[in-house]
Formats: sequence, C-alpha cells, structure tokens
Amino acid sequence: MTRFVMVIDQRRCIGCQSCTVACRTWNELPIDIIYNPVVSEGVLGVWPNVHQTFTPLLCMHCDNPPCTGCCPCKASQQEPDGIVWVDEKKCMGCKVCVNACPYGARDVNHKEGFVRKCNFCKDRVREGEKPYCVNTCHQKARIFGDLDDPTSEVSQLVNSLQVNTIFPELGTNPQVYYIPDLGGGNR
Amino acid sequence: MNKHYWTWPIAFYLFLGGLGGGMLFLAGVFDILYSTGNLGAVQLGAIDSFGSILAPGVFVGIVALGIGTALLVFELGQPKVFLRVFLSATAIIKWGAIMLTIAMFAALIYFTFYLTPILPKGFVLPWQDWLWLRDGARGSMLVFGLGIMLYTGILLSSLKSKPFWNTPALPVLFTVSALSTASALLAATAGLVLTPEFMAGAAGQLYGEALTEFMVEQLHFIDSVLVLAELVVLLTYTLLMLGAGNVVAKNVALGWIKGSNAPLFWGGMIVCGLLLPFLFYQIGGMMATVIAPILVLAAGLLLRFMVIFADDRRSVPGEERYYSRLPKGDEGFLSAWK
Repeated sequence: MTRFVMVIDQRRCIGCQSCTVACRTWNELPIDIIYNPVVSEGVLGVWPNVHQTFTPLLCMHCDNPPCTGCCPCKASQQEPDGIVWVDEKKCMGCKVCVNACPYGARDVNHKEGFVRKCNFCKDRVREGEKPYCVNTCHQKARIFGDLDDPTSEVSQLVNSLQVNTIFPELGTNPQVYYIPDLGGGNR
Repeated sequence: MNKHYWTWPIAFYLFLGGLGGGMLFLAGVFDILYSTGNLGAVQLGAIDSFGSILAPGVFVGIVALGIGTALLVFELGQPKVFLRVFLSATAIIKWGAIMLTIAMFAALIYFTFYLTPILPKGFVLPWQDWLWLRDGARGSMLVFGLGIMLYTGILLSSLKSKPFWNTPALPVLFTVSALSTASALLAATAGLVLTPEFMAGAAGQLYGEALTEFMVEQLHFIDSVLVLAELVVLLTYTLLMLGAGNVVAKNVALGWIKGSNAPLFWGGMIVCGLLLPFLFYQIGGMMATVIAPILVLAAGLLLRFMVIFADDRRSVPGEERYYSRLPKGDEGFLSAWK
C-alpha cells in the first residue's frame, strides 16, 4: 500500500512563503484562498537567545478525516493512498466540510461556489512527481513521500525523529508531520 | 479563527426547521391524544376532530419547513445542483433533507383531510375516507417532525472543529427551543380558520370554541413549562462551556455572559425571550395570546443566530496573526489585469 504523507522540518523553514506563492500559481487559486499559509510564532525568548518558529500549514490529509463522512454529495473523499480531495463537479457548496475541518484547510470562493482544498497536487503525484510546494522549497523543509515504503525519506524521518502533529487529541490522525524547531539549538 | 461560513440563511433555516418540525410533532401528538374525545366530548369523526383546530398550525409548519429548506438551498454555493444532497449514505445533512421531504409530504397529505370546508360544495377528495392514510401521515409527521428538531442540533454538534457546538447538549437545547416556539405558534394559530361549516356541525356547535380554548390553554401551559426548561438548559449550557469548555468555547461563553454579546444574551434571550413570556403566560389575556408567542419566536430565532455565530475554531499558534496581516480591499487591483 501507498500512504502519501508530508514531513515539514521546522528547523529548516525560514518563512519565505515561496511554497504559498508556488501553490497559488500552480493551482490558479482565487485571490481569497490560500491552501498553505506559513504562520509564525515569536520572536520568542530573551535576547541574545531569541528565535522565531515558522509553521507551514496545509491540509493534514488525516487518516480519519472529519470532512469526508459529513459530505452529502460524496464530493469530499479520500483515496486509498490517503489523499483527501474535493471533486468540484460533485460539490454543491453546502460548506459543512469547511466547518468540519479543525485545521481551516478548506475554503470557498463565492464566485465559484464549490469547496477548494489542497490535494497534495494529486495529478503530479500520480505521475511520480512531487507536490509543487515541495519542489519549490529551496530549504528542503518540505519532504513528501510514501510512509509505507521503509526506504523513503519520510518514513525514515518519522520513525527516527520526534515528530509532532497538529491537534492530535481530536482523533483525526493527521498525516502531516512536523519536526519541531528546537529553539535554535542542535543545528 | 473566526471566519463565518454559515451566516443568516442557516440561522433562519435552523430556526424554521425546528419550528416547523416541532409544530408537526405537537399537532400529531395532540391529535392522537384527543381525537378520541376523551374530554368527555363526542366521538369526533375524521374532519371534525381536534385535527381541524390544529390544521392551520400544520399548514404554517409546512410553510416554515418550506421557507427553511428554500433558504438552505439559497445558501449553497451551487444552488442549481441541490439534489446532489441525496448522494451520500452517511452525511447528517442528507438525513435532514430526507426527513424534511418526508415530513412536508406527510403533513401536506394530513392537511388535505381538513380541506373539505374550504373546497367547493359537494367536492369530495377521493381519499377523504381513507382514515388509514390520515393516520399514517400523522405518524410520519410525528416521527419526522421530532427527527428534524433533533437533526438541527445534531448537525452542529457533530462538528468537532467547533468547540462551542461540539457537545451533546446542543441538540437538547435546540429541541427544547424548537418545542417551545412550536407550541407558541401552534397556540396562536389554533382554530384560526374554523369554518362556518365546522361551527354549524353538531360537534362544532357544542365543542368548537370550547375545544379551541382548551387547546390554547393546554399549549400555553406546555409552553410555560418549556420556557422554564429552556432557561435551565441554556444557562447550564453556557455555564458548562464557561467552566468545562476549552479556551475557544470559554471565550464564546464569556462573550455571552459579560462580553459584547451580553446584552443580547441577558436582555434578549433570558429576560425578553424566556422570563417575560413565562410571566405573560401566567397573566393571560392578550399578553398570553399575542405578546408571549411573539417573544418566544423572536427568542428562538435569536438563539439560532447567537449559536451559528459562535462558530469559532481553535487556531494553530500564529494563524490569527497571519490572517490579520493579509491585505484587505486590494482584490480588485490584484485581479485587474485579467
């Protein structure tokens, strides 16, 4: 089996927002929709020991997605390889999935009327390429691959380092793993 | 994060769905309880039964459900394809749509049994004597009316991304409020179009006015109890969120209790929407028949508005700052080249 996941190395992210721009370009997003904002915390600490943490956000492609079962039109769905996506031809725009997502990964453009979200660049991935945000990240902070393949980089990172997920207590089992910024140490 | 995806049409929809569902439910219950004349009244037939007194309420209930459903469709991003709602097997919205459809159809069938006095003289509907049909429709009305009331709350409480909604207490609050608004409007519409034909009949002459009065009194009493129950549930709900909710739910509850929504909560909901109607029901007269139902209905709508705008999501650290920094008002400029 294949299970596509993303690992985000917060030690490497410098908050340049290249992935945000790349994603907007590749997916031709409306002006009011952002799939992957890079949010920041800080400046934290006391000078001279200060640092800032950047957290690139995107759809977590959860193992237990709260946004698919609630869709009355079967437009919001999950592939066997874990990719959660919205078939815009089926979506009627009831926005229940937008409200169901704890990560704010979904949005609606009022002119289009259907729900949009990150789909791990499904079409690129199926052709063996990487998502566009991963291709663009010059810091190599975004790593994409198959978690079920023990030789893949994501599998080795997730299984050898301490990784975090966002809001794990909600039981969604998110599949975007974060290698935390350790506050400037161990670089 | 506080971006509202569901706004006033959904608030109206939840209110009208609860109201309509509740009216069908209560009308069905009353019809079953009293149609056999256990008031010491005569054994009333199909047309002359208690149903005639509550039939206007059933019609108003159908209209409420119809308007609510229309608002739901209007609120969709792609309203033209709303029939897709029936595609999924599991979605709560789909179950709601099915229940709304069945309840409206059943209530419409039930209502046709009370049309005789309005129809041209001598014109009899072919199914007028099929009492099994009326009873079946009444049963469906009752079951699916109750389902709709519960569903409006379950729809919101099933969303675990919304801390203020994600609790089993929300369907209870919505159901009590729905029953309360429904009994208020049912009392206000009871016997509204008791036709001369009905009054001229034996049952009408003997019991028409008296039965209507009795029914209205019953409904006022029921609503008094429901209003108190709603007061308890609402206060419990809010205090529960304040004491045991997470940070987001706590902030919403604080906003209700002493923040920017406090005037609406204390003044609008608690005093004008619940305590005053209770008082007016005890006073009786115009206060009970006109003012109290208006206040109860307004409070029901206000409750749906307050809840639907309490849709705060827990933010990832830094998210609020990110979105607050995005430029606003430049959309036209940025897309002008297209």
